[in-house]
Amino acid sequence: MLSIQHISKHFETVKALNDVSFDVPNGQILGLIGQNGAGKSTTFHSILNFIQYEGQIQWQGHSLSADDFNQIGYLPEERSLMTKLTIEQQIIYLARLKGRSAKEIRPQIDDWLTRFAVKGTRKSKIKDLSKGNQQKVQLICTLIHEPSLLILDEPFSGLDPVNADLLKQAILAAKDRGAAIIFSSHDMENVSALCDQLVMLRKGDVVLHGTLDEVRNQFGKSELYVTTDWSQSQLADLPHVQTVESRHGRHYLLHLDDPAAGPAIFDALTQGHYIEEFSQQPPSLDAIFRMKVGETNV
Amino acid sequence: MILGPFLMVGLTIGISYVSANSTSKSREIAVISDSRPMRQAYLQQNSNNVNRKIQTTKAAKAAMADNQLAGYLTFKTSGQPVQGDYHGNNAMGTGLKAQVQNFLTGYQQAQNYQQAKLTPKQQKLLARTPVLKTHIVSKNGTANLAKIISFWVLVTLIYIILITYSSITAQEIASEKGTKIMEIIFSSTTATSYFVGKILGILLVIATQIIIYLCGGWAGYAIATRNATVSPLITQNQSLIDTVIHNLLGLNLLYLFLGVIIYTILAAYSGALVARAEDASKAAQPVIMLGMFGFFATFPFQNNMDAFLVKILSYVPFFSSYFMPMRIINGHVGLGEQLSSLAVLIVAIALFSVYIGKQYQRLMLQTDSQSLWQHLFHSIRHR
Repeated sequence: MLSIQHISKHFETVKALNDVSFDVPNGQILGLIGQNGAGKSTTFHSILNFIQYEGQIQWQGHSLSADDFNQIGYLPEERSLMTKLTIEQQIIYLARLKGRSAKEIRPQIDDWLTRFAVKGTRKSKIKDLSKGNQQKVQLICTLIHEPSLLILDEPFSGLDPVNADLLKQAILAAKDRGAAIIFSSHDMENVSALCDQLVMLRKGDVVLHGTLDEVRNQFGKSELYVTTDWSQSQLADLPHVQTVESRHGRHYLLHLDDPAAGPAIFDALTQGHYIEEFSQQPPSLDAIFRMKVGETNV
Repeated sequence: MILGPFLMVGLTIGISYVSANSTSKSREIAVISDSRPMRQAYLQQNSNNVNRKIQTTKAAKAAMADNQLAGYLTFKTSGQPVQGDYHGNNAMGTGLKAQVQNFLTGYQQAQNYQQAKLTPKQQKLLARTPVLKTHIVSKNGTANLAKIISFWVLVTLIYIILITYSSITAQEIASEKGTKIMEIIFSSTTATSYFVGKILGILLVIATQIIIYLCGGWAGYAIATRNATVSPLITQNQSLIDTVIHNLLGLNLLYLFLGVIIYTILAAYSGALVARAEDASKAAQPVIMLGMFGFFATFPFQNNMDAFLVKILSYVPFFSSYFMPMRIINGHVGLGEQLSSLAVLIVAIALFSVYIGKQYQRLMLQTDSQSLWQHLFHSIRHR
């Protein structure tokens, strides 16, 4: 388990992290969300001991040291490879730094290239690959030594939906192996699809922390998805309806000021008849993110 | 880069050979005489740079017009005394002039003896010449020359290697600065291990280069000893060559190698201090300047290797690589002093490596726009 306890970091007069605490148990995925500059990369750099910080970070019950390097798989925010090397040389070089032998890694390379649908052979030079394929090779370098602690800084950035799915599968496979995984993302859909828990940072402070359901339920079931023949103005006149968003056609999203008003609205809308869609939910992660970011700018 | 000096030497030898061949003909002279025995006598005594085929003035003039002949000599025995005339496009060289003058004097003397009808005893008495002998302590002379040659070869070798590799090292390190691959590497190994590994890699390249030069030098020497032209020169100067080789090997070679190590580490540090990879050439400048300062500082002391400043600098890392070999070559430094200076250098290298190894991760991952000097002060402040 990765345990982060009360870490703080200041750059000169700028507060980058302020008393951040969370745990990532083995076999779980934690999503770190927040605006640019919220402190996500600083958190990763603290875990990796790239910077000095206040507080305590422990991995499997002890401070993370050079002895643990072989268990870590780290993908930085900006991709960077040694462009003069071939794919094989690059993968083997980084795997050897992680304590794996070339003999052990070489037979796995073709399988990984196929799994990530990399356009190129193991003998292709990195510089000859497209940006997307270079990114896939970097992901392979991060995963091939089967790390038990995966730190992925914006891993989905720049990937198309097909390749994002391939990455999701690889992350889930690492989770099944029992790896503790922490990743940052701006794409709330990916966070919702993968994470067991999430942490939202805002200007270095933790503003949200918990499982996806816990976080969403903090905001109450204030969103109502309906499909009806009623007009937007009729829906807006219903009690406790703050605003009505037209999704498309007869589909609407109603924002309630009181989640308890749901049954009354259901009765008013259906009047005892069939309704195609009536779903009362907490706000989406995307909406929560926007809400929390909005609080910053108030 | 490694083959450069070999190519230069090969090119120089090749050009010299072609040039020597093309100019040798135009350096020849012809000898023309109304006395066949006199001409033969000259040719017997002086066979070099003489065209034996040309025997007439007309042929000689034609050859000169074609630039195949430097000039021609005519010897006349019909009148008294014997007369020699030189016709050429340029004035006679002092060597040729002395050679011809000697020949004519000897020939005239022989003629004089013959005509004076002297007895053999009288001839012998007249032939007596005074004797001048020179006595040079050749061992000391050779040793002094060997010291000067050894000094120049060694400091130039150190200087060239330092300048070349300081620049390469600084650029190599600076090119990695700010790249995310460094974050991946530092998540896999310690910065100190990576730094030491990097320096060792560069040193192995330098060691390979030195070994190639040693092998190349040895092969060149072996070829030269078998060459008919160069071989006598080598034999004549064997003791000088042996002394120079002796001076260059041993502890001095170790100083050269350790000097390269400490300058390479400094170059790596400079490379890590730059804000951007494009500033790499700037980063190498302080190291190159220091190397140049050490190199030029040796000049005033080449004939005064026992100066107090030389003694001091022979213990100061970065300078000891130049100054202690100077003192060793001069032969006025004991083994204890040599080992003390070596120990200071080794300790300095170790401390310097540990210090930079600790700073290395922070320096390499820092990608702000601070200047080299701001980084340096920042790094000293945060020791």
